[in-house]
Amino acid sequence: MKKILFMLIGVSLLFAGPVFSSDTIKIGLMCPLTGSWASEGKDMRQIVELLAGQVNEEGGLLGKQVEIVVADDGGDPRTAALAAQRLASRGIVGVIGTYGSSVTEASQNIYAATNTLQIANGSTSVRLTEKGLPYFFRTCPRDDEQGRVAVEAMLEKGYKRIAILHDSTTYARGLADEARTLLADADAQVVFFDALTPGEQDYTTILTQIRRDEPDVVFFTGYYPEAGMLLRQKMEMGLNVPFIGGDANNNPDLVKIAGNRAAKGFRFLSPPVPQDLPSPVAQDFLAAYIEKYGQAPGSIWAVLAGDGFRVLAKAIAETGSTETATLAAYLKNDLQAFPGLTGMINFDEKGDRIGDVYRVYEVDEEGNFILQM
Amino acid sequence: MSFSGKNIRNGIYAAVAVCWIAAPVFLSNYQTDVLNNIAIYALLGLSLNIILGYGGMFHMGHAAFFAIGAYTTAIINTSYGIPVLWLLPLSGITAGVFALVVARPIIHLRGDYLLIVTIGMVEIVRIALVNNIFGITGGPNGIFGIASPQVFGHPINGIVSPGHYFYLLTAFLAFTIAVFYLLEHSRYGRALKYLCSDSIAAEGSGIDTSGYKLSAFVIGAFWAGMVGNLYAGKITFISPESFSFWESVVMFMIVILGGAGSIPGVLLGAILIIGLPEFFQELQQYRLLIFGIALVAMMIFRPQGILPPKPHTYPVDKLDEKEVTL
Repeated sequence: MKKILFMLIGVSLLFAGPVFSSDTIKIGLMCPLTGSWASEGKDMRQIVELLAGQVNEEGGLLGKQVEIVVADDGGDPRTAALAAQRLASRGIVGVIGTYGSSVTEASQNIYAATNTLQIANGSTSVRLTEKGLPYFFRTCPRDDEQGRVAVEAMLEKGYKRIAILHDSTTYARGLADEARTLLADADAQVVFFDALTPGEQDYTTILTQIRRDEPDVVFFTGYYPEAGMLLRQKMEMGLNVPFIGGDANNNPDLVKIAGNRAAKGFRFLSPPVPQDLPSPVAQDFLAAYIEKYGQAPGSIWAVLAGDGFRVLAKAIAETGSTETATLAAYLKNDLQAFPGLTGMINFDEKGDRIGDVYRVYEVDEEGNFILQM
Repeated sequence: MSFSGKNIRNGIYAAVAVCWIAAPVFLSNYQTDVLNNIAIYALLGLSLNIILGYGGMFHMGHAAFFAIGAYTTAIINTSYGIPVLWLLPLSGITAGVFALVVARPIIHLRGDYLLIVTIGMVEIVRIALVNNIFGITGGPNGIFGIASPQVFGHPINGIVSPGHYFYLLTAFLAFTIAVFYLLEHSRYGRALKYLCSDSIAAEGSGIDTSGYKLSAFVIGAFWAGMVGNLYAGKITFISPESFSFWESVVMFMIVILGGAGSIPGVLLGAILIIGLPEFFQELQQYRLLIFGIALVAMMIFRPQGILPPKPHTYPVDKLDEKEVTL
């Protein structure tokens, strides 16, 4: 009997549901608080909550306080679909997020069906904005843009034999395919093209295969945990080939996993982090963030979530409306050269961010990310 | 088992069923969608229960059959436009045939050896999907644009109206429970339980153990394939990430935690394993920690599962003289 009672309490708590109140402006944040991308999700939440706090101190939006409603997408499509349903039923004006492309894709249809504005921050897969969804935006650039910059950076260094390594996720495979297509027209040869399995501890087999093909450079399009392992094991094996990473490597945990010595010289592409941006908006944000959380934000993707919040807040303030269609029209047509935390922000008709965003970074001896060019 | 005890139990089951069916009327779309997820995993748990609960085979690759059903539906629906629900039996058959081919050589393996082989199987299936096997699975991007199922010409959209999908899933769940209840109490079900507790004695009594085990595997896979069909029709977008090894572990947990071999146990397991993490959403990043602690506590206090199957009693005075027993 006690068992049943316990269960009933549990189930009734589960469905107790939120208390609805209309005296705040609710903005959803969908981020991976659990799963392998949890550190991204934590930063995203901290940044968006910090910015929302600043807006509230200045009087909020339309005379109301801003409330951030957080949902954990767990970094997997099924949980993301649930998170999207959860946010969509909370009366939110718009939603910020999320990080992984396939995770965003699973939530897109739900937000489209409920006419919810979505501003993704880390989903770079090309397909997402090619579906003609009217209320989908992203503050991050697309993979085809990144592929172009990566190929340029490799050709500029004079590399001729190029190995491409991905991890079979939507994002990494997309970027790898893009780079391979671009290299086909260039004066270079793709000598290796394969995937590793994310989440493993030992990548010496795949590194041995790479060594056999004698590339001048390895372009790794996957995420930072695997990149860190690869760099460390590459050093342990005495394999001396330079690595270039995609933008999913812009996370300080990369250096923690690889160690300073192994990470030294590793180059990756990324939109610039706020530390490297001279604009007052970026510097003020950085100062406020360090004051509140004691360190600089770890990853650019979380900062892009902050930009998602800022453009949404700007749109609400400028249009005086919380109507999805009005906000989307404002973002597409009227928002010009908005000073974001990561540079100027404009959106095109598809909801993609316009402009030259990518830069090349290199890891120095102490594990710091140094902006090149 | 006293007569009144049985009555109370049936009363509780009836009350739970009524609450379940009435629930979407009172709940938001999100909460209904949580119930949809619970129903999907209850179905998966029940199908795995045939293999793991009755058959006693440690099978941790059930997501492979689920994936094959979902992909069969997705590929045929997006390429040829055949309605999703028509593909329900075909999805099951594809998964069942795959299970037959894969399980035939490994069915004699015992306990942990079988476990390892099935883990290998589910990983191979996932990697094959990622690598766009035969050029039809869409690789890591998966397949999008799967149509919603239609019942008598009415589209049932799992995204816009989870409530409608809820009743589709509930109908299938009720059908499944009925079929599996009959199976459990049939000669076939008793034979499976017998070989599960003592395969040598079962073999000695004239039971074709490997034949029974293989058929249990195929039935479980067939059902998981059909659930894959309903899942694909609900979410309308599938990618290999939805069928990771972790999904197999979740199904395994549902059966073990709820009570292997017990239909109410598996249903309760699905409610707890899928429902609890959503219930803890407010705790954000700590929710899986709490969930883990809850799991550990339950396994310490109820190692046999929360609702283990009751042993069958056959009172002598109630036996029909002409009744043929196993």
